[in-house]
Amino acid sequence: MSNERKKVLLVGDNPFHGISHLSQERARVRGDAITHAEYAAKLVMTSLENGANGFMFSVSDMTLSILRMIRETGGSERLRLYAIVPYAYEYVRLVTQIGVLGLAKNFAKQIAVSGNVRAIAMGLKGVIRTDPVALMKTYLTYEISRIKSSAGKQANLRSVLLHEIITDMALALNLDGLFMAYIDFMLELGIRPGFETRNFAYLVNKFREWDIDFREIIIATPFNKVGFQMNPSRTECEKALAKLPGLNTIAISILAAGYIKPSEAINYLRSLPNLKGVAVGVSKESHARETFKSLKERLE
Amino acid sequence: MSCVKILSRESLRVAVIGLGKMGILHASILNTLPDVQLTALCDKSAMIRKFCKRVFEGVHLVGDVEELSDLRLNAVYVTTPISSHFFVIKTIYSKGIARNVFVEKTLASSYDKAKELCRLAQSFGGVNMVGYQRRLNVSFRKAKDLLTQGTIGEVVSFNAYAYSSDLLGSRKNSKTSVFRGGVLRDLGAHVVDLALWFFGGLTVDSTRLESVTERDSEDSVYFKVKGSNGLRGEFNISWCMENYRLPEFGLLIKGSKGFMRVDEDKVELKLDNGKSSMWYRHDLNDNVDFLLGAPEFSREDKCFVKSVLEGCNAEPSFCTASKVDYIIDQVEHGPG
Repeated sequence: MSNERKKVLLVGDNPFHGISHLSQERARVRGDAITHAEYAAKLVMTSLENGANGFMFSVSDMTLSILRMIRETGGSERLRLYAIVPYAYEYVRLVTQIGVLGLAKNFAKQIAVSGNVRAIAMGLKGVIRTDPVALMKTYLTYEISRIKSSAGKQANLRSVLLHEIITDMALALNLDGLFMAYIDFMLELGIRPGFETRNFAYLVNKFREWDIDFREIIIATPFNKVGFQMNPSRTECEKALAKLPGLNTIAISILAAGYIKPSEAINYLRSLPNLKGVAVGVSKESHARETFKSLKERLE
Repeated sequence: MSCVKILSRESLRVAVIGLGKMGILHASILNTLPDVQLTALCDKSAMIRKFCKRVFEGVHLVGDVEELSDLRLNAVYVTTPISSHFFVIKTIYSKGIARNVFVEKTLASSYDKAKELCRLAQSFGGVNMVGYQRRLNVSFRKAKDLLTQGTIGEVVSFNAYAYSSDLLGSRKNSKTSVFRGGVLRDLGAHVVDLALWFFGGLTVDSTRLESVTERDSEDSVYFKVKGSNGLRGEFNISWCMENYRLPEFGLLIKGSKGFMRVDEDKVELKLDNGKSSMWYRHDLNDNVDFLLGAPEFSREDKCFVKSVLEGCNAEPSFCTASKVDYIIDQVEHGPG
């Protein structure tokens, strides 16, 4: 792994939402404590004390509570924030219950209640003109304002990343216009546009085809020695990473959801070029200390 | 697999009917497949069509199934609510819209309608498939292989479950349960299909249905089944369970030489001779060309498209899937 710059070592939030990609049974066995904001905030703080320098999170009521608690302890200044939007699980659950149109109505209500004038104006324009780009901007404005009001003025919002379900769907549908509008809008706001994907090699090819400047963006994607969620294959993802012009990729799923040991995971990551950093979830204080100490010692 | 007719290797012209969550998912995956041209989308909501027009350039957008008639389609995906499957598929065949049809599970809202769709599919020919995508999950496939090899001996009994928290704490009289066709069709159908795939024909022995969200809704279901050679099985199905953030399906299978526990994430094998093994998704080559939602969806679409291109049968076909509707009818209305 290149040592050109200090790596970003991010605490991931999957365990705080009760997610385990190894097995759903494992997520349930962890118990309720981890899904309490107070406990989760303590884990983030412990990680920061042991080498982590940022937090990667899906924007939800839970993670916004964590941000508020960290702010109250004065920890916000040290924290680089990498926010993922939307919190897909909640939206997919709502679509399942109330349908696509029901979700749209529900979301419009939330924005109206928030009183965010800019978001309301853009949203109205989006609905009247049936303009998906205007609606996307409305949504982003709303979410960014929620992050900032929770994390406080000292917060260092480095990047807002589109959740994999949106990134990968837009990739599949060749929505180059949407990607470009998103990048331009985020750059105007002074925030680095980001993309979470489970189709890294496919994304790199498409972005090259569309002349998207990789130096302006962040990509978060799985990298682990067993090739878990590295599609179409570990080899193809490694080839795509090697061809990138700079350090803009953050490795996620580095432990393949607990399938491999941290030491093995780090050995593999050290062999990769062009990684900007890693994000990893922790579920116990001891995990937080051991994992980030090792990452700091061996990756930086 | 029998091959009936091989289409030329030009792009397949495919339409998707119903632009809810599953329709958009399939449309997206289909658009990444090299042999597919996403030709048309159909949804009755004018608002959804208006937005889709801005997103899906060059794709026909229509509000009625019959409007697909003149588009020279090779295949159609039906992803509308279950209650409309019968009418939509009947229209596709009777108006000559396409010969190859994929439909999300369940095939129909009753066994009688499912039988009629099987008859139509047979008389019109073409490939037909139902979206029981758990069959394409790597751990369920591994379990099927182990059963076929007789690893746990003769199967004596099984316990199957399908749980989610989807309607836990749902408002009383929210109508969601009824709209989604009840927990058996919406959630339980997957595990019923897996059991039929694993063990062959089953008949319902006794049942218990519970309503939680509204009067007469079907929210929790327990039933027992019998199979060949004295096989006994039990199903527990509910969408009001705590701590099931995502739907979860699994089976505990007891055989004459040991037992096997399988869910979407792993297969655990314990034999009476002391041997045991565990396989996670990681061990079973779970990668796909393009991942959206879950790897199973990509495999499913690739399988259907390949079957159409090569003129081979796809599984589960309408006929295979209609057996799930048969079991559900037995549970809901009583055996016989």
